Amino acid sequence: MLSLGNVEVVYDRVFLAVKGVSIEVSEGGMVALLGANGAGKSTTLKAISGLLMPERGEVTRGEVRFNGRDVAHLSPPERVRLGIAHVLEGRRVFEHLTPDENLIAATSMHRDRRRIAELREKVYGYFPRLKERLSTKAGYLSGGEQQMLAIGRALMIEPKLLMLDEPSLGLAPYLVDEIFAILEQLNRDGVGILLVEQNAAAALDIASDAYLIENGRIVMSGAAGTLKENPDIQEFYLGRAGRKDYHAVKHYRRRKRWLA
Amino acid sequence: MDLMYFAELAMNGALVGLMYALVALGIVLVFKSSGVANLAQGALAMVGAYVVWWLADPLGAPLWAAVVVGILIMFFFGRAFERLALRRMIGQPVIMVIMLTLGTEILLRGSAPALWGAQMKRMDIGIGQQPIVLGDMLINRAYLAGGVVAVVLIGLAMLFFNSRQGVMLRAVSDDQTASWAVGISVERAIGVSWGLAGIAAACAGILWGSVQGVDWTLSLLLIKALAVAILGGLDSIGGVVIAGVAVGILENVIPGYIDPLVGGGTRDLVASTVILLTMLVRPFGLFGREDIERV
Repeated sequence: MLSLGNVEVVYDRVFLAVKGVSIEVSEGGMVALLGANGAGKSTTLKAISGLLMPERGEVTRGEVRFNGRDVAHLSPPERVRLGIAHVLEGRRVFEHLTPDENLIAATSMHRDRRRIAELREKVYGYFPRLKERLSTKAGYLSGGEQQMLAIGRALMIEPKLLMLDEPSLGLAPYLVDEIFAILEQLNRDGVGILLVEQNAAAALDIASDAYLIENGRIVMSGAAGTLKENPDIQEFYLGRAGRKDYHAVKHYRRRKRWLA
Repeated sequence: MDLMYFAELAMNGALVGLMYALVALGIVLVFKSSGVANLAQGALAMVGAYVVWWLADPLGAPLWAAVVVGILIMFFFGRAFERLALRRMIGQPVIMVIMLTLGTEILLRGSAPALWGAQMKRMDIGIGQQPIVLGDMLINRAYLAGGVVAVVLIGLAMLFFNSRQGVMLRAVSDDQTASWAVGISVERAIGVSWGLAGIAAACAGILWGSVQGVDWTLSLLLIKALAVAILGGLDSIGGVVIAGVAVGILENVIPGYIDPLVGGGTRDLVASTVILLTMLVRPFGLFGREDIERV
């Protein structure tokens, strides 16, 4: 469904943030994109949704195909109409709007009022908690509720591909579980998911495939299960080092430099 | 007699204030949807008045047609301004946008009289001169009509902002990137808000033009409108009504008592004092939104 081929992203015409990334998400797939801070995960998502523009970023090479169509030159709203939804990092709900208005704000592509009402009910079906706080301004919701609202808002556009940028950021563990359970549910209902996470353990548990990005390059990819077994991933992303093994750390550093 | 004098000043002041509020509405509409301070609204109102006068007088269109066409022209004028000038400013520092709107204000102030002639034009929209007598109060008929029109238009603007389109405009003012991400065409939304500001400017221009004649001084309404918008809170439409009435009353009552003592000229001080005091005491105005901070 989504395929990135050797995508290169440059900010401000000088800073090369993503250096030839290729990613595939199949119809209804669940793919995780892992990596440390500043590795280029968010930039990759923005290259797909078109949100590089306001940050003066640009796809300078490679192609972004969605259902066989090159979308690199489409504006963000046009890509949304194709079914690409991007849940931004840090939730970014419309703070001064109520939850209900937040959902309504995401309906510019729908003409049919009945359809909008149905979608709203569907979102409240996934997130019953939002329905209890309908009259509060979204800015006063708790972090978990805001994340639910951000996902619910993206669902209003009936996405074929739902991209989430760190949905677990700053949330209590039980909320992370709750939100990831809902993502699994959505995936079973047929929505393709591309999940960017620092919480590698949680992401690898629900994803079928995963990519590891470092310094703007994909350094590892494969089935989530395989990546989970990889000793480097275990040590640096899952924190299961066991003993402190400084030899391994050095080895890894060397490898990383070589890759960059 | 004293109380009656006060009531008469206050009543007429309130109506004038509502007409200020109509100019301020254009500032608020734009700020509410794009977070840009629209300092060109005074000149837009002036251009609106010129356009309607031009359609009605030299071109000889019937008044209602001139008003309708004038409002339409100003809608597209506002949109064109956004499309041609402001859209290039996306991603630029806010100060540049402010300077751009201020520069436009000055440019229009100079070019409209150059185009249509500098001497004052009379615009008669068929409102009688003789005041309405209410008890012992004399109420200016033109102000009354203006106040009513202003209240109706501001009410419509409030309804609009609660509609689906309006919710999207508010979303844009909250977070432009997130608006893009959910499929709102941010550029178009901001264009529409400038179009609406154009409509508000046309209506304000017509009302004020019929009261004081059409010439460049109409653009000085900017100061009054700014005072109203700042006092009401730059993004509150309801605030504009309350603040408009407040500024109007202050502006009529204070000179009514002080002018005879100091020899006149205090009227213009009121608006600037209101701006200053608001900025010092309550920078987000009476009903402006505060930044939400969760603890």
